[in-house]
Amino acid sequence: MKNKAMHLDDRLFSDKKLYLPLLAVVLILPWLPMGIAGPYVIRIATLTLVYMVLALGLNVVPGFTGLLDLGYVGFFGIGAYTAGLLTVYYHWSLWLVLPLAALNGALWGILRGAPTLRLSDDYFAIVTFGFSELIILVIKNELWLTRGPMGVPGIARPDLFGIVLNQPWQTYYLIFFFLLLVLWTVVRIRSSRLGRAWFAIREDEIAAECVGVNVARYKIIAFALSAAIGALAGAFYARWFRFIHPDMFKFWESILILCLIVFGGMGSITGALVGALVLIPLTEILRIVLPPEFSNARYLVFGLLIVVMMRWRPAGLLPVEKD
Amino acid sequence: MLNTLLEQSSLFLQQLVNGVTLGSIYALIAVGYTMVYGVIQLINFAHGEIYMLGAFLSFSLVTGFFGIGLPFGLAVVIAVIFCALAGVFLDIVAYRPLRRAPRLAALITAIGMSIFLQNLALLIWGAQIKSFPRAVVPAFLFAPALQFGDVVISWLQVVILTTAVLLMVMLQLIVHYTRIGRAMRAIAQDKTAAALMGVNVDRVVSYTFALGSGLGGVAGILVGLYYNAVYPTMGYFAGIKAFAAAVLGGIGSIPGAILGGGILGLAEVFGGGYISSSYSDGIAYAVMILVILVKPTGLFGRFARDKA
Repeated sequence: MKNKAMHLDDRLFSDKKLYLPLLAVVLILPWLPMGIAGPYVIRIATLTLVYMVLALGLNVVPGFTGLLDLGYVGFFGIGAYTAGLLTVYYHWSLWLVLPLAALNGALWGILRGAPTLRLSDDYFAIVTFGFSELIILVIKNELWLTRGPMGVPGIARPDLFGIVLNQPWQTYYLIFFFLLLVLWTVVRIRSSRLGRAWFAIREDEIAAECVGVNVARYKIIAFALSAAIGALAGAFYARWFRFIHPDMFKFWESILILCLIVFGGMGSITGALVGALVLIPLTEILRIVLPPEFSNARYLVFGLLIVVMMRWRPAGLLPVEKD
Repeated sequence: MLNTLLEQSSLFLQQLVNGVTLGSIYALIAVGYTMVYGVIQLINFAHGEIYMLGAFLSFSLVTGFFGIGLPFGLAVVIAVIFCALAGVFLDIVAYRPLRRAPRLAALITAIGMSIFLQNLALLIWGAQIKSFPRAVVPAFLFAPALQFGDVVISWLQVVILTTAVLLMVMLQLIVHYTRIGRAMRAIAQDKTAAALMGVNVDRVVSYTFALGSGLGGVAGILVGLYYNAVYPTMGYFAGIKAFAAAVLGGIGSIPGAILGGGILGLAEVFGGGYISSSYSDGIAYAVMILVILVKPTGLFGRFARDKA
């Protein structure tokens, strides 16, 4: 009885009936008989998991603290370039490169967030947007470091205990492991003192300040965590895709990730996962189904989806229950 | 020595002319952002797309993309009217239902509309850059109007500047000396009080969208001619720069938007010419961020967008 009253987010890890079937599906996916489509399906599944991590990471700022971040792809880019360049220049292991990328992401998250603390919602959104555009410009123009528009090819595959993971199912399990790690972190934080402080800030910043929540401190923690998760996803992406290019980190990507959490329900962890699970395979299907001249316009669906969701279901498909 | 000095100064003058032209276009777009923000405190992200539609429509009408080719002047007038109506439609369909919703919802909707319109244009017209064929555009536009040494001012630049100035003057007259303008100012000051005094808020907001979008459409046509390039993402970049101009001038202030547009146009041209051409797009972002962080009210702004 008590379980039913609990929000989906809290049941995600505590309700065996809920998580065991899900876990089973994810784990056996690479071994399903898919014939020739196999590698392709695993690739889409891996991509979906990457976007799940991104959605969970973005969700921390707009979902938990109520501030609209329009430049999340900037951290994805920072992570991808940090990991990609360290790998190409120094040939370091994934397990060294990945934490460094996440740390670098967190650092930029703090640097970006600190001056915006006193800004209101829409100005915060503009600053985040401008920041990510500046990052892309720097990546594009600082050829000596990033090779600019030539991109960074030939990034080494992920490795584990000195073994190179060169099978698609291996990288698939790897990103699933990272997803579980991130998921566990955000689920735990959500129901901790930190999470409650964020929700208080989201509902009413001034009231939160008045009852003794250190708004500045908790916002900074949210910025750092969110950025670190984005950079982690980027670092994995660079090692998995083995090529990075400034055009992969355009504004649209930020909007796509935002769309995932708007669709699922802002602030809802399950919502972020469901959003990615539905929309990312959908983009891939649209890419195949639509004739090539239209496939570029598939973002049209996302624009429309955002507008429709905001109009009729502003809380998303799986809204967060409020007490 | 004298020669290089002359060359330098004529380069400078040419940059000045180009900068002022660009600035007047930014100002035309920025006014649309600032007016809408003034009345409903919404950053209308889709404004850049209205500007793009202006360019595409005028292009399609003169080249007969939709089946019939119209004379240039008529095409321009129809395109501008369509843009004004599109702005009103956008407000009624997307923003009006969210007037009482949290501001974040309207802001996200605006982004959604922007993406929707941009991709709609991509579907209709394709990704390829379109240019106005010389035959359909009045020929005198491309002739030099004035020439001092190496500095050339084309008729097109003259037309852009005069159009911008005339429209700005007209706008100021509307805002300050007509009933609807007074209603706009009243709503900008206090929406509830204005409504209580009998101002039909929805109608005035529609007029605001129509005016701002019409000006945006004009800017789109002028830019389409100036760079001779029309493409679906043109509204994205111009929109950001114009928005930066509006923020710089103080969002909500029309003279601020005009001044901001001018400053940004000059900064972009001179920054691109003398500092680094690869970062000339970055100037707008940097200006925008700096103004928001250091002086959120901009040069003339009334909206202290601190925590409300």
